[in-house]
Amino acid sequence: MPGFWRIAPGQQLAARGWNDEFVLYNNLSGDTHLLDGDSTALLAHLQAGPASLEALVATFAGDIDPDDAAALPGTIASLLDQLAGLYLIESLDAPC
Amino acid sequence: MLTVSALTRKEIAARLAGPGLYLRTGPFTNCIRSDSRFLLDGICQMYGAYAIDESGFADFHLNLHRATGWRRWIRPQVRFDNDGEAPFEPMPANHAFPMLEWMLNWCVSGSANSYLIIHAAVVEKNGRAMVLPAPPGSGKSTLCAALASRGWRLLSDELTLIGLDNHLITPLARPVSLKNASIPVMKAYAPDAQFTVPARDTSKGTVAHLKASDDSVARSAEAARVAWVVFPRYRAGAPLALVPIPPARAFMRVAENAFNYSLTGARGFQALGGVIDGCSSYDFTYSNLDEAIALFDGMAGAPQ
Repeated sequence: MPGFWRIAPGQQLAARGWNDEFVLYNNLSGDTHLLDGDSTALLAHLQAGPASLEALVATFAGDIDPDDAAALPGTIASLLDQLAGLYLIESLDAPC
Repeated sequence: MLTVSALTRKEIAARLAGPGLYLRTGPFTNCIRSDSRFLLDGICQMYGAYAIDESGFADFHLNLHRATGWRRWIRPQVRFDNDGEAPFEPMPANHAFPMLEWMLNWCVSGSANSYLIIHAAVVEKNGRAMVLPAPPGSGKSTLCAALASRGWRLLSDELTLIGLDNHLITPLARPVSLKNASIPVMKAYAPDAQFTVPARDTSKGTVAHLKASDDSVARSAEAARVAWVVFPRYRAGAPLALVPIPPARAFMRVAENAFNYSLTGARGFQALGGVIDGCSSYDFTYSNLDEAIALFDGMAGAPQ
């Protein structure tokens, strides 16, 4: 399934949020991360199952001003890269 | 309940030299053995109100003995071991009491993992606790000592113990460690308080300890709920400033000041989350202790 993103297998994420900021605990790494609301919403969506960039864009397109829609794929791709850099998610087509 | 002050100096010395003085500090019992008169002086001066545990059980076994051989005579030293393990270099003999305090902190921070342990002072008034996490040199202990001398209950000047299940602070009221310039400041601010003789040229400079109030010691079984997390910073001449910190950022900063956050895992995360949920967090800059205390007294007296 190239181009799909998922939560790392076995990973259980616990989150607490205040206003639009969240702290997130990763049981696999033991790390705690400070995340914004958009990143946390992406993670929450991926906790339900793997999703492609296109599917994520379609999911969140309704949450933004139509004038900003063109920027949404790039923004989500950037957030996914950041979450992958924190080992919170992984790409299914990533090399082992 | 037998307290240290119920024993004569000679009886305390005999316990230290023999089976050990089973000193109760907060939720812990410490079996202390020593032949150091400096340590005996410090215990008699600072720990009179503390209970002696006569059950024969101890959480920690601390041995502080004078070095043998030529070190008995030339620049005498005291060495520490914990259950036979000697993790630190010997120190000058007259540093025995500060050494005991550091070793008590070391024992707790290294093994009391039924708590989330924050490197922070904590005081309480009207049932509301204020946690003061801060790096050395921030004025944390001075502020803590000043609050404790003006009616706030001392829960700890160094180790804040957060219950993993109930998210309450378990008191660990012990002498407040003061360093360098804060010693004369506090002697002037609390002239009736009791201080140890300053130990000079320690690894932290000159160190003296301020005795915890008898009320703080007597109430050491009384847990408290956190109402505020305040990151203090002393800056000469600065106006009083109390700046709110968003809760998620306060969470991360408190976690950075924890000794065992990683070790406690998800339970530590939830405990700290529970604390942050129930409190307000601030960056606090001050230069005048009276102004700081007036501000905090007002917060403690305000309706919840």
